[in-house]
Amino acid sequence: MSESAEVHALDPEAFEERVHSFQFWFEAVQGYLTDREYGHRPDAQDAELPESDRDRLVTVLCNYCIGETAALDGASGLVAVAPNRLTKIFLSTQVVDEGRHLEVLRHRLVELGVERPEEEIERRASPRLRDFRQRLEALVAERDWDAAIFAQNVILEAMEFSTFHMHTQYADPVTREVLVGIIKDERRHIGFGETELGRRLKHHPTLRDRLRRVRSELDPLVLATFEDAMEEIQVPRGERAELGRSYLGAVERLGVRT
Amino acid sequence: MADFLSGYSIQYWLESCPQGYLEDTEYGHAAGVGEPELVLADGLLREQAIKVTTQLVVGERCALAASSGLINAAPDEAAKRFLATQTLDEARHVEIFTQRLYDLGVGKGDLESTLREHANPNLVKFAETMLEKVDAKDFIPGVVGQNIILEGMAFSVFEMMHAANQKLNPKFGQTLSGTIADERRHVGFGENYIGALIKQHPEKKAEIEKMQKEMSYYMLATFADQFSGDENRAELDEMRKKAREAAGDGAPEGQWQGRNLADLDPEQMEGLLSNTVIGEFKTRLGRIGIDYQTPVRP
Repeated sequence: MSESAEVHALDPEAFEERVHSFQFWFEAVQGYLTDREYGHRPDAQDAELPESDRDRLVTVLCNYCIGETAALDGASGLVAVAPNRLTKIFLSTQVVDEGRHLEVLRHRLVELGVERPEEEIERRASPRLRDFRQRLEALVAERDWDAAIFAQNVILEAMEFSTFHMHTQYADPVTREVLVGIIKDERRHIGFGETELGRRLKHHPTLRDRLRRVRSELDPLVLATFEDAMEEIQVPRGERAELGRSYLGAVERLGVRT
Repeated sequence: MADFLSGYSIQYWLESCPQGYLEDTEYGHAAGVGEPELVLADGLLREQAIKVTTQLVVGERCALAASSGLINAAPDEAAKRFLATQTLDEARHVEIFTQRLYDLGVGKGDLESTLREHANPNLVKFAETMLEKVDAKDFIPGVVGQNIILEGMAFSVFEMMHAANQKLNPKFGQTLSGTIADERRHVGFGENYIGALIKQHPEKKAEIEKMQKEMSYYMLATFADQFSGDENRAELDEMRKKAREAAGDGAPEGQWQGRNLADLDPEQMEGLLSNTVIGEFKTRLGRIGIDYQTPVRP
């Protein structure tokens, strides 16, 4: 039986004990982070990018850094709000994942010739993404576990997952390797959000309405952010609807429809 | 500041920790190594192991709350990333010491009640004093409390416990060894980084010294609870007797700070631990420009 099948054969309590553990995270990342330096193979060859493409990529990566900083602040703030030891430990693994994403994306900016990444990130940050970040911070500060986990581990993670997945199809080889590693982490984070909220929705059916309101507040920001990102990545017009579909599919798996 | 912090990157952490000294471990020790039969079979030794491990879980839960809570308050992105690695280190410590409680026979449903029953109230107050600063997003006192006071205490306690356990209980010794390696990194970060911040914010010194004095008081009170009194003395004598019988000719011993721990009575052990930790506090606080404040003796 494969490791994944073995895990899914466990009873619900043992399943959570296993998949929310440091040990599980440790074994998972060993599979795809060993021999990587700042998210890619040390000998990966950088492609020569025309200046306009490089500049667009820098803008995209700066905005990814904003998203990852929001995710880092959100996940770390949620450790204190988490209802039990297992959710605290899972979120701690997510904190280091988000910190790693921020680090590898920032490092990629340096590889692309950006001398002061912090200043560049500040300069190129999308106002919509900043707005999203502020709303997520507010939910965490209110210690609203359900709404904050929904915003963080479903909406934000699904937004990042869909964008990064789309970007890998158009990215230069080094950026693609960095994004592929991040996507693997995002899958774990979305899985946690869905499992945690799925269980709570079963016991608290009225929660769905509250999550719907959170979603209607955040969806416009997500969709507008997609537009900005697709423009910079230069996704062909005919393929842009796919990004929205991918995001909506992930969010609606929980049955939270607007 | 950011250049100095590049030595605390996640890349470095991945290479030194998950891909370094933790490789091939399970819950902090080599696979297949268990608690000694003597500890599991003897009521007194098992109970003592549960009590001691409870204090470790309480301390590590506090460290997890502090390191994660400080990320939002950190003044720059490099510090956030270091604290992210520390958050996961602390979560790992919570996990491995919780696992030890399970290995000692604590039922999963009894975990929280076991912790409530055995948690030392002075250790809880020690944690609360620091977490007040973290909850208020007061970064400089929070990080001094976490990375110098709490980590400094934990470092010496773990080293002493490691010396006492590495022969008698290799599994626990291995678990402590990985934890000590983490704590060493955390303490180093606190000193280098905070010294520079305090220079920029000298107005914070009085508040930090007040917090340090309170935390030191509760720490010394915790040590006194663990070592002083006739009951502790009688228990330690009994445990040593059992350990000697189990060890046969090779009497168990552990050298720490130039002393053989097996030769010390409980008060001497308390004195050695307190003096070591306070000595370290004085040195480390001095390096960041803070004067150690002596608390009332509990």
